Amino acid sequence: MFIAQKHISRRTVLKGMGVTLGLPLLDAMIPARTAWAKTAEGAAAARPRLIAIEMVHGSAGSAQLGIKKNLWSPAGVGREFDLSPSSLSSLEPYRDYLTIVSGTSDHSAEAWSAPEVGGDHFRSSATFLTQMHPKQTEGSDIHAGTSIDQIYAKHFGQDSAIPSMQLCIEPVDQAGGCAYGYACVYTDTISWASPSEPLPMIRDPRAVFDQLFGAGATPAERVARRQANASILDWITERVAQLNRELGPRDRQRLDAYLTDVREIERRIQNVEAHNASGEPRDLPDAPVGVPDSFSEHVHLMFDLMAAACQANLTRIFSFKMGRDGSSRVYPESGCTEGFHPASHHQEKEANLLQYQKINTYHVSMLPYFLDKLKNIREGDRDLLEQSLIIYGSPMGDSNLHNHKRLPLILLGHVDGKLKGNLHIRVPDGTPMANVWASVVQKLGVDVDKVGDSTAALDLNQAAAETTTDSAGV
Amino acid sequence: MKQLTLRTSGALTLIFGVAFGLTLAAHAQSAAPTPQGPPQPAVSHEPSTLSPPAQKALVTRYCVTCHDDAQQTGDVSLEHFEGADHVEPLIAALMTRKLKTGQMPPAGQPRPDKAAVDALVAALEPVAMLAVAKTGTPAPAAPIQVIPFSHNGDVMPVTAQNAMVHQICTQCHNDRQKAGGISMEPLDMSTAADHAELAERMIAKLDAGMMPPPTAPKRPDAASIHAFAVSLENRIDRAAAQHPDPGFRDFQQLNRAEYARTIRTMIGLDLDVSRWLPPDTMSHNFDNIAEAQSFSPTLLQSYLSAADQISRLAVGDPTATPTSFTYDADHFANQTTHVEGAPTGTRGGISVVHVFPADGTYRFKLLFYGTPVGNLFGLTTGKEQIEIAVNGKRMALLDVDPRLSELDKQGLSIETPPIQIEAGPQQLSAAFVKRWDGPVDDLIAPHQFSLADPQIGEGPGITTVPHLRSVTIAGPFKVTGVSETVSRERIFICRPVSADDEMPCARRIVTNLATQAYRRPATPQDIDAVMKFYERGRKDGDFESGVRTALQAILASPDFLFRIEPQRAGIRATRVRADAYRLDDLELASRLSYFLWALPPDADLLKVASAGRLHEPAVLDAQVHRMLKDPRSMALSTRFASLWLRLQDTDKVHPDALMYADYDGTLARDMKRETQLFFDSVVKGDRSVLDLLTADYTFLNQNLAAFYGIKNVAGDQFRRVSLEGTHRRGLLGQGSILVETSVADRTSPVLRGKWVLEVLLGSPPPPPPPNVPPLDDTNAVSGGKTLSVRERMEEHRKNPACASCHRVIDPIGLALENFDPTGHWRTTDNGVPVDPNGQLYDGSKVNGLEGLDEALLKHQDTFIRVFTENLMAYAIGRPAQYFDMPTIRSIDRTAGRDGNRFSSFVLGIVNSAAFRMKKVDEEKVANNQKTQATQAAGRRN
Repeated sequence: MFIAQKHISRRTVLKGMGVTLGLPLLDAMIPARTAWAKTAEGAAAARPRLIAIEMVHGSAGSAQLGIKKNLWSPAGVGREFDLSPSSLSSLEPYRDYLTIVSGTSDHSAEAWSAPEVGGDHFRSSATFLTQMHPKQTEGSDIHAGTSIDQIYAKHFGQDSAIPSMQLCIEPVDQAGGCAYGYACVYTDTISWASPSEPLPMIRDPRAVFDQLFGAGATPAERVARRQANASILDWITERVAQLNRELGPRDRQRLDAYLTDVREIERRIQNVEAHNASGEPRDLPDAPVGVPDSFSEHVHLMFDLMAAACQANLTRIFSFKMGRDGSSRVYPESGCTEGFHPASHHQEKEANLLQYQKINTYHVSMLPYFLDKLKNIREGDRDLLEQSLIIYGSPMGDSNLHNHKRLPLILLGHVDGKLKGNLHIRVPDGTPMANVWASVVQKLGVDVDKVGDSTAALDLNQAAAETTTDSAGV
Repeated sequence: MKQLTLRTSGALTLIFGVAFGLTLAAHAQSAAPTPQGPPQPAVSHEPSTLSPPAQKALVTRYCVTCHDDAQQTGDVSLEHFEGADHVEPLIAALMTRKLKTGQMPPAGQPRPDKAAVDALVAALEPVAMLAVAKTGTPAPAAPIQVIPFSHNGDVMPVTAQNAMVHQICTQCHNDRQKAGGISMEPLDMSTAADHAELAERMIAKLDAGMMPPPTAPKRPDAASIHAFAVSLENRIDRAAAQHPDPGFRDFQQLNRAEYARTIRTMIGLDLDVSRWLPPDTMSHNFDNIAEAQSFSPTLLQSYLSAADQISRLAVGDPTATPTSFTYDADHFANQTTHVEGAPTGTRGGISVVHVFPADGTYRFKLLFYGTPVGNLFGLTTGKEQIEIAVNGKRMALLDVDPRLSELDKQGLSIETPPIQIEAGPQQLSAAFVKRWDGPVDDLIAPHQFSLADPQIGEGPGITTVPHLRSVTIAGPFKVTGVSETVSRERIFICRPVSADDEMPCARRIVTNLATQAYRRPATPQDIDAVMKFYERGRKDGDFESGVRTALQAILASPDFLFRIEPQRAGIRATRVRADAYRLDDLELASRLSYFLWALPPDADLLKVASAGRLHEPAVLDAQVHRMLKDPRSMALSTRFASLWLRLQDTDKVHPDALMYADYDGTLARDMKRETQLFFDSVVKGDRSVLDLLTADYTFLNQNLAAFYGIKNVAGDQFRRVSLEGTHRRGLLGQGSILVETSVADRTSPVLRGKWVLEVLLGSPPPPPPPNVPPLDDTNAVSGGKTLSVRERMEEHRKNPACASCHRVIDPIGLALENFDPTGHWRTTDNGVPVDPNGQLYDGSKVNGLEGLDEALLKHQDTFIRVFTENLMAYAIGRPAQYFDMPTIRSIDRTAGRDGNRFSSFVLGIVNSAAFRMKKVDEEKVANNQKTQATQAAGRRN
């Protein structure tokens, strides 16, 4: 099923709002990627995009029977694998970009002491990108780890206008306790700037849009606002020059620092205007009114915004939480009429498992829409999918048991040639998911040996030698 | 220019100096370590590679040959050395120094190899740090020679002062040793005022009894030290009075609070500016410290967005297109009672003032809290209804279906049909219809039926009610125009009736707005510049869009965003100092109004300042008194006092829902209000600031009074209530402060002690050494018995590395043990009777809050000095520095003669050089590192 090809009526979209926005990085403006890439700005812009997506509640393919039936991990390892029985079937057209890592564990999401038993739903998300065990507390002394998106952002995020963005689909509550003695932040976000700094995630596409592209619902309105700001900036420059004549050197130096920022914002506006004048309009998502009711509509809007931001190099790093633990949302388009959480407790019964798999398959089928967008964006002589890394996975394995073994995890994109793709890696049971993160972070250019509880960096371009094609593999 | 910040040196040492001084004095008397009493647990510092037995073996073999009980060479015996963790810090320091310099073992004696010495030093150093950290390297113990110097009462002649410096201080502070980086060999006390920074450090050290160190072989008698300090202080103060140093401050930016308040007075809109502006950087307790404010492209972008969007909300936007905005309801708020602003007869929910951009239809989407499996939370009361009201008028009444579930297409939310609403600020509420009343007789009532955790109350036994999670306002759909609003009335002071009227009317409007925004009469140049934006907006639209564009430009202007005090060359050089100048009356007016009101000057103040009369003492005095009496001086409570007392921390503590079931977010809000109103009573009543510690009254409403167990207070509004016959008095009996210094499931005497030391006495304790196990890791159970917090702390304090600081911090906090983490009075803790007795660092015995207040009153000079330092830092936007100390002492002396009345401090600050004058900004100042650091910080954003 290809949702991407399906026309989706955007109730939220206002009629007649074709949106275009100029982008700072234009291949038209860059004669040769290589020459441009040599500049500092070019090197920075060419850095891989990272989009880390979490889906909660594991997968049907992580249950014993599901493994046998290849409901998630395909039977074959290496380059020969058949996706047709798997929830990943919609990714077949993108298999050259697909790296499946089967069999990892998230030890940090498990209960480490008696009071933690049963609290898996309220602890898992905090471990997904950190692979650190969260402290059980509903107070302000929350503690987990630094997430990989933020490790990357800390090293290279400053090269883009917005170092990183955090998006989500389900409502969040950034305060107080959720259940089992865990603060809600552990459930609400997957991005942690430090072990005590969870980053809030934005659910409203309009808020994302405004942050990225500025306020204004129509292109004309945004142009007008941009131009108004440009003339205000001109005037500020004049006014600062006047003020400077009356100031001592220290105040003058402070105002000069302000002028540097004025020029930076002017530069951003000029880039946009220059592009608009180049007569090469690019489609941008329409400014949405609010949060759509439909899951697919909401997810696609978020993907539109992410693709546009990546293209414009406004930000290169996204974390995206597509579900919320314990959510009982029904996905009518999946073909499963049961709620997400009830369905995830499939009792290991074949009929229930197959029902639950429909939801997993539906979630994964959101991805081709995004991959397609990235593939159609050129940057220099490559497309953005080539340049990007998309992580999609879950910190829970068998949702019926709440375990954190044999986790669903796939990587998409070639990370600027560092990831070959078309590969199914099966690692020995118990291999930390953090070993994948360690490797990912290194491929992104960050010199770090250890992420969370990693024991080594996993080679992501080779199916492990000792693995077999045995479909059970458990 | 090297600036000494007294907060981190002088003030700190004042108390810790006493503590360490006493410790060291005790050591000095018995230089030889005596065998320890009961065995002590090992300190978990960085693991030394040398185990205690190995350390002992080393010492016994190489040191004890001379340093035994019989010989006590150098007055030191190491015969009973049991390892670094058991040795007195002073001895550890001595050993460390002797070993590191190779002085010991002495030449000719057998020596261990270097690795062994290094390992022993590594083990000793953490312990030695405890002695060295505050006193400098201790000198070897020797018989102490006490030398009197001539003085008459508090007056010591310069010759005697010089004698004291050159006989005593230069023993260590000489050209060779330069202890603490200071040599006093060239120091002539007759010119001490030229070395004010050094002099202030000397005063602080001498006052605190930190110098000379207790181990100094030669020292003056106590009376000589006192006379020296007082004489020095007087000389500095006299010199400063003739040539006060006003200091230099960078220009200030409007912070979030000032921005929002300024917008409210200018155009009548109450907006949450955190939608646009990034959080303020806190420094020295406050959010308005100029040197901590830095620039970044993000900040500029947010100024531009705020100017754009606020101008649209203010004027109204007939071209507005639909957007959505979500308000989250407070999860911890009481859901049984009426929320202020919602219609009577409702309970819980949310009430906000939302600014609607245009007349049109809007839709409201209400989201409810769910249980972990996706059902509606709070089903005890059955079917509920929720009412949407605008300005108290019912717009929609919706049924909350108890079967609402995440399984539904709309999830746990319901949406209203489109509702017609007019532009401008409207009080919007979404609240449940109150269907029942009366007592609920549950054993546990989490947070007044609020949502501590969606599992608690899912089953029977606990009464729960549905909770609103958020309200999303989407619109406008079908814009019909823009109605008259408060902000439009403020802005459109004239209306053009013909095309010819437009320009003059726009000019009037712009002049009015710019004068308010720039805090000074707008000049023709200012107006011309802004009129260009009017013309631009007029060209693309109508008169109103011209005015809107002009307002947008004004709000983005540096004249609005920055409080710049231009240095107009040479025109105001003062008599008192060649390198300083007086601020003009308009600049003074801004400083005054942001200090007392956190607002721009009002018309009255602007009038006096424009007439050039504000600097006249009688005029200024009258303005200060007028402004203090004005309701707007509440800002001193909601801003200054709230920041100084750190009331924002109260919201960060969420007492455990099951242990402290009668606490909720509404109480937290009421507690903060109590403290603010209490502080305001000191401001408005011009009372002594010592009343902050001792007042026997407070401000309560029914909710808080019931929580405190005080009867006969009914209704939502706060009123003054006597505390006679209760256990409470002053600030330290108020819930806000007791809660903000607690953790979720227990009190924290350490946090409470630290709060008193930092906030009231200006002496932050040093941070704990690394790798010290926190209290949580100390056994909560011992010998099968649950321990009280006091007992657990005593376990913790057995650790010698912790004890030296905790014996200063803890007794303060333990005196407040009768107040539980929610500020409730208690007499037992975990079944153990509460023992609020203790002995403070200065030896005073305390028994509970009253005793603590009395002990603090003994140090009222310190409390008052810290209060003045804080008020001054807030008033001028920079922390108090060494050259401010004469001013602070003078303000405190004057206030002391005036009964420490609040207005004395305000007038003292307003009349000080630091407030009225500014140092000339010199090139060499400009090149200092701070500015570079600020820029670097700016770039990082």
